[in-house]
Amino acid sequence: METTIKKPSVFTAMGAVFKKEFKIAFRYPTWFISMLIWPILLPLGYVFTAKALSGTDTSSLVSFATLTGTSDYKTYMLIGTVMWSWMNSILWSFGTSLRVEQVRGTLESNWLCPVPKISLLLGYSLFDMIFSIIYIPIIVLEFKLVYNFHFVGSPLLALLVLLVSIPAVYGIGFIFASLVMWVKEANSMVFLVRGMIMVFCGITYPLAVLPNWMRNVSKFIPITYSINALRAVITEGVSVGDIKSEIFILLIFGAVLMTLGLLAFNYTQKRVKSSGSLGQY
Amino acid sequence: MNRNKIKTYMMAIGAIFKKDIKIFFSYRVNAILSILEPIIWVVPVYFLSKSFQIGGKNIGFAQYTGTTDYMGFLVMGSIVSSFVSAVLWSMGFSLKNEMDAGVIESNWLTPIPLWVQLVGRSIFSLVSTTASTLIVAFLIWLLFGFSISGSILSSIATLIPLLIGLYGLGFGIAGLVLITNNANNIIDITNATLNMICGSEFPVTVLPKGILAVSLIIPLTYGYDSIRGILLGTKTLLPIHIEQLILVLFMGISIYLGIFILNKVEKYCKTIGNIGFH
Repeated sequence: METTIKKPSVFTAMGAVFKKEFKIAFRYPTWFISMLIWPILLPLGYVFTAKALSGTDTSSLVSFATLTGTSDYKTYMLIGTVMWSWMNSILWSFGTSLRVEQVRGTLESNWLCPVPKISLLLGYSLFDMIFSIIYIPIIVLEFKLVYNFHFVGSPLLALLVLLVSIPAVYGIGFIFASLVMWVKEANSMVFLVRGMIMVFCGITYPLAVLPNWMRNVSKFIPITYSINALRAVITEGVSVGDIKSEIFILLIFGAVLMTLGLLAFNYTQKRVKSSGSLGQY
Repeated sequence: MNRNKIKTYMMAIGAIFKKDIKIFFSYRVNAILSILEPIIWVVPVYFLSKSFQIGGKNIGFAQYTGTTDYMGFLVMGSIVSSFVSAVLWSMGFSLKNEMDAGVIESNWLTPIPLWVQLVGRSIFSLVSTTASTLIVAFLIWLLFGFSISGSILSSIATLIPLLIGLYGLGFGIAGLVLITNNANNIIDITNATLNMICGSEFPVTVLPKGILAVSLIIPLTYGYDSIRGILLGTKTLLPIHIEQLILVLFMGISIYLGIFILNKVEKYCKTIGNIGFH
């Protein structure tokens, strides 16, 4: 007698990946310490470097204020580093998720499950998104306590900028996960991509100090627009009308990068299957 | 320690070195990244310094350090930081890699003490760091320009006790990795915090008093400070020879404490049997 087994849905697989990630997170408690420490630690170097560059009489701060429109270098850098940290965590999460399973020898067995393979990545995304929702208020609170962070504009508008950035950021994550399956080297790839973002997107400095060709490259990275919009909202208190071009560009980036991400993952999936290189590392 | 033992240890270190070379060149992106990554970290700070310049010079920075050459200051800091990272990551992270790959238990069954295995794992890392540091410094000099006015030999003589002292810290970190079964976070935070508060990118005199007090009791601070003092002629916290003496003392104490902690942790892990867990 033939028995038919119902295929699990994408959501069941996503839920299973989410549950697994949740368990692993609680298995390594030092992860929570780093979650609290990194948002403080990362901008610290830039903030003190800026203080040293300002001089004892803050004469050099005038140059910075002329270029950026603000002498509050702390808030300026905090916004840049938060966006970079978000992108960094997506790259690590997507890049290492499949790679770690490759190294541990569990990727092939997961690949044999009768579920769409994209559900694995979607599961990681779900975990990451819920983590970010909890994480953002913690970061804001820490900034308030440690750096006396001033929020001039509307927090809801800042949240909107983050929301419209999600498709672009996760699209990059999907492309990145596919790339790591090809190159088989997650760490180096994360260092390279996050480094490009750090150099070109004006995380800690105004884009005006970049040479022209670098400024042109920065226009093709969505994070540049997220940072600009967030700085305008948080430090200048602009309205939604003032950042509508940034929002529009981020939505376009989101649609393009998400499509490219899904296509890249599907192609990679077929490619590693036919070449039999899924478990190789 | 008798001669046969030393010979055996050297053979083990040689074998680990050979294995690390093979692994390094199996992942060629690594080799390219070891050159690109330090430049990637330096570039944003270079542009940050540009946004504070008056007439193309970092006048404000000179008020703290005695030099307007921020790039020179930064490059010297990056070089020392690279060696700090090389020691910490090669010791702690390699243990985690072996846990994940399932070979740590078999390695521990060999008659080679753990500290020798750890030293072996750091050798290739130090060699590759030295090579990449020289190339990176040259590239940064070409791209951004900086000038060295002091004795390179004297700065190397200062770096050596600092590096040996860092091995002690590396042993301690390896112990922590064995207890927590986690490497990334511990090493990342230790490495970044040390580099940060000891002045890899800025003079520690800009730190608030509380953090400055912590910075001044960490010997690494004097490593950064004296090497910059020798090579760039910057204002130093203490006379350079006193800072060098602090580094020599650090070397002795750190190695003794590091090996002591590692032996205790090794014994503990063997007793409870958690070596292969991850």
